[in-house]
Amino acid sequence: MTFTREGRELRALRGVDLAITPGEIVGLVGESGSGKTVLGLSTLGLLPKTAQIEGTVTVDGVEVNGADEATRRRLRRRSLGAVFQDPMTSLDPTMRIGRQVHEVAGSTAAVLHLLDAVGIPDAQRRLRDFPHELSGGLRQRVMLAIALAARPRLVIADEPTTALDVTVQAQVLTLFRQMRDEFGCAILLVTHDLGVASTVADRICVLYGGLISEIGAVRPVLDHPAHPYTAALMASRIGLDADRHSQLPIIAGEPVHPSSDIRGCNFAPRCPAATALCREQRPALAAVSQHDGLAACHFEAGQEVARRLSAVAGPWGTTTTASNEGGVSVRQLSVHFPGRRGLRRSKPFDALSEVDLSVAAGEAVALVGESGSGKTTLLRAIAGLQEPTSGSVTLGGRGRRPQMVFQDAGSSFTPWLTVGQHLEERVPHLPTAMRRERVSQALERLGLPAEVARVRAQQLSGGQRQRAALARAVIEPPDLLLCDEPISALDASLAATVLNLLGRLRRELGFAMVFVTHDLAAARLVADRIIVMTRGRIVEVGASDTVIGQPSNPYTQSLLASVPEVATCR
Amino acid sequence: MLRFLAVRALGALGVLVALVTAVFVLQTAVPGDPVRASVGLNASDEVVAQERERLGLDKPLPTQYVGYLGQAVQGSFGESLRTGRDVRDDIGAFLPATIELAGFSILLAGAGGLLIGILAVVSSRFAAPARVLFVGGASVPSFLLALILIYVFYFKLSWLPLSGRTNLDSAPEGPTGLLLVDSLLHVRLDVFVDALRHLILPATALALVPAVAIGRVLRSSLIEVYRADYIRTLHAKGLTPRAVLWKHALRNALSAPLTMAGLQLGLLLGGVVIVEAIFAWPGIGLYLNQSIQFGDLRAIAGVTLVVGAGYVFVNTLVDLAQAAADPRIRL
Repeated sequence: MTFTREGRELRALRGVDLAITPGEIVGLVGESGSGKTVLGLSTLGLLPKTAQIEGTVTVDGVEVNGADEATRRRLRRRSLGAVFQDPMTSLDPTMRIGRQVHEVAGSTAAVLHLLDAVGIPDAQRRLRDFPHELSGGLRQRVMLAIALAARPRLVIADEPTTALDVTVQAQVLTLFRQMRDEFGCAILLVTHDLGVASTVADRICVLYGGLISEIGAVRPVLDHPAHPYTAALMASRIGLDADRHSQLPIIAGEPVHPSSDIRGCNFAPRCPAATALCREQRPALAAVSQHDGLAACHFEAGQEVARRLSAVAGPWGTTTTASNEGGVSVRQLSVHFPGRRGLRRSKPFDALSEVDLSVAAGEAVALVGESGSGKTTLLRAIAGLQEPTSGSVTLGGRGRRPQMVFQDAGSSFTPWLTVGQHLEERVPHLPTAMRRERVSQALERLGLPAEVARVRAQQLSGGQRQRAALARAVIEPPDLLLCDEPISALDASLAATVLNLLGRLRRELGFAMVFVTHDLAAARLVADRIIVMTRGRIVEVGASDTVIGQPSNPYTQSLLASVPEVATCR
Repeated sequence: MLRFLAVRALGALGVLVALVTAVFVLQTAVPGDPVRASVGLNASDEVVAQERERLGLDKPLPTQYVGYLGQAVQGSFGESLRTGRDVRDDIGAFLPATIELAGFSILLAGAGGLLIGILAVVSSRFAAPARVLFVGGASVPSFLLALILIYVFYFKLSWLPLSGRTNLDSAPEGPTGLLLVDSLLHVRLDVFVDALRHLILPATALALVPAVAIGRVLRSSLIEVYRADYIRTLHAKGLTPRAVLWKHALRNALSAPLTMAGLQLGLLLGGVVIVEAIFAWPGIGLYLNQSIQFGDLRAIAGVTLVVGAGYVFVNTLVDLAQAAADPRIRL
C-alpha cells in the first residue's frame, strides 16, 4: 500500500499476509505509523483513491481491491461492519440514532433488538435521541449496533476504546466478546494498547513499519515474545506493577519513516541485538521455538532484547534538593460554569466544588479521574487559564507562572514559527547568542538533535513534538510544571519515553509537578502522591503505592478494576 | 422556541423604532420644503401654513415623532404629501408586486446557491466554471447586472420583456395580489407565463449575487463535512454516495450557508429599490424612489418600516431553519 504525497512515495504497508477465520478476534497492535489503521481501511475498501494497492484483500470470497465501487459497497453493506475511534464524531450529529441504525437494520424491530443487544438501556426511548444526547460509552454501543446490523462476517474496530474512560472501556471490551459469541462475526481489533488486545483478542498480530513482526495466540506471544519489537513493547508497557524506582526500559530511536527504503529487517536500526545480517537481509515470517505462532527475526531474539533493555534502564539519577520555592496551594477552589443562554444553550455545571490541594516544592502529584471529573479544570485554574468562581490559588516561592505541557503537542505550537523561535520566546531577556545556546542545551537535554530548532512543529513526529513541548517548558527551569494528559495521545513506547524524561527532568531541575491523567499506571509511575477526583471533588489522596495498592474509596477501586492488564512472565 | 419568538418580536420592535427615529432625524437635515411643493410653488404663505397645520407639520419635531409613533401603533403611517392618501394604503397597493419579486428572488437565490454549492463539490467538470462564477458573481453589483441582462435578453435577443409585471390588460385581480398565484387561482395560464417572463430578468438581477455567495459558503462547508469521521462511518455502512449527500452531508453543511443567506437576503431587500426602478416594477421600491424625489417623509418612513420588518422576518426564518437543520441548536 503506497501513498504519494508531495511527490514522495509513502509505503504504509510493505507486504502483509493475514488471514482471519470466522468468529475469531484478532488484535492488530502497533505504534502510530505502523500501518495498522491503513490495513483496517483497506479491508473495508475505504482507502482514498490516490492509494496504490498491490496484492489482494478477500472478504467472504470477494476480492475488495480489484472490485468496482458498487461491489465494494454491497460488500460493506452485507459482510463488513466498522467501529471507529471517536464515538463523539463518528455518528451523524443531525440524525436520530434510531434512524442511523435503521439505515442498515431495515426495520424498527431489528433496531430495537440491536440496541438491546449492545446494552443500551431503555432502547425504545433512546431511538429518538440525537448522538449528542448520549454519553461516549453509549455512542460507541450505537456504533457497534450499526456495525452488527447487517450480521456481518467481519467487524473492523479501529481503536474503539481509546477515546473512552477506563470503566467504560472495560464494559465495551466485554461487549465485543459477547457480540462475537452472539453474532458469530470475526473481529479485527486495531489498537496500540497491548492491554486492550490481550483482554479481548484470541490472536495477536504485531505490526511494525508496515510489516508483521510477530503473530500468534495472545497469551504465548506476550509471555514469550520471539521478536525483539514485541519484547520491547512489553518491556516499556506502563503497567500497574512496573518498578517505580527505575526508569522504564525503552527502545531508542524513531519509528520507520514510511518514505524510507529498507533492505534488511525494518526493526534493525532500533534493535539492540541487530547484526550485519539483520541490516542486509529481511527476515521472513517463520515458525519460532517460543510459541506456535510466527515471527520475523533471524535470531528469535525477543528474550535477549528484553534482558538488555531492562539492564540499560537504570535507576533515576540523583535528585536535586528541592529549594523552598515552587509548589502551589489551592484553597476552597470552586469553578462554576453558568451555562450559556441564547442560540447554543448549555446547562450550568459545577466543574470544581471547594477543592483543597497543596503541592510541596519539588513534589510530583498526579490528578486522576474520568472525563468530567474536574481534573483539567483544576490544572487550568492553577495555571491561571481559568478564573475561579471562588477560592484561591497561591503559587509558592517567587510566584512565577507555572509552565504547561498539553495533550496535543502539535496544536500547542504556532504553525508558522520554528521550534527554535518558540523556545527563544521563553528567554527574551538574553542576548541573541546566549538564547541560541540555551535552545540547543534544552533540545539536547530532551534528546533532540540541534536541527529541530530550525524546523516547524508539524514536521516532527508525535514523540518529537511532545519532547519539543517539554523543552519549551524547561528551557528556563520552572518552579512548577503542569502536564495535561501529555502521554494519552502517544503509543506505549513513546509514552514510556516521555515518562522517563519527565522523571529525569524533575529530579535534575527540582521543580514541582502536577500531572493530569486518566491512566492510573502512569500516575503511579510519575507521581509521589495520587489524587483521585470525580464530579468536581477530591475523593482520595495518598502516596502513589498506597492508592494503587490499597485504595480506600470505592470509586478508586472501580477505576483500578477496569484497567486492562497484561499478565506477564516477569 | 416560544421564548425565542417573543425575544425576536421585541427585537423587531426595537429595530423598527430605531428606523423611524433615524428617518425623523434625517428630515431635519434634508433641505427643501415638501409642503410648498405639494400645494404649488405660487401658493401664498398663508395657504402653506394652513396646509402645514392641517398635516401637523407645524408642531416641534419631537411632538411630531411621538404623534407618528402613536399613529403607527394604530396601523396608520399618516397622509402622503405626494399622493394625498394614507401611506398605509399606498404601500398596500404596491407591496404585493414587491413581495412577488422579492419572494421569487429569494427562492431563486436559495435554489441557485444549493445547486452551485453542490455541483462545485460533487462534479469535477463544474469545478472550473464554479471558480469563475464565484469571483465574477461576487463582484457584479445588481444594477450593472440588470443593465447587462436587459441588453442581452431584451435588446439583442428579444427573448424577455423589458419592464412591468405583465403586458396583458385582462390580468385577474386579487385575492393575493401576487400575479403568479392569482393567475393560477383564476386558471389563466397565459397570464401566469407572461408574469413569469416579466419576473425572470429582475429576479435574476437580484438573486445572482446572493446565490453565488450562498453557493460558495455551502461548497466549503460541504467539503469540510465530507472530511468528518461520520461520513467515513456512512461509507462503511455501505450507503450510496447519493444517500450520503442528501440524507446526511447536506443537512450537516447547512448552518454556514443559512447564516450567509440571512445576510444576503437582507441586502437583497435593499437591492429591490434599485432593481424596481430599472425595470419599472410597480412595487414599493418604485414608490420609494418617487417619494424620495418629492421629499415625502411619511412615505419614506412607511417603506423603511416595511422593509425593516421584512428583514427581521427573513432573518427569523433563517434562524428557525438553522435550528431545524441542527438538533444541537435549541431555540
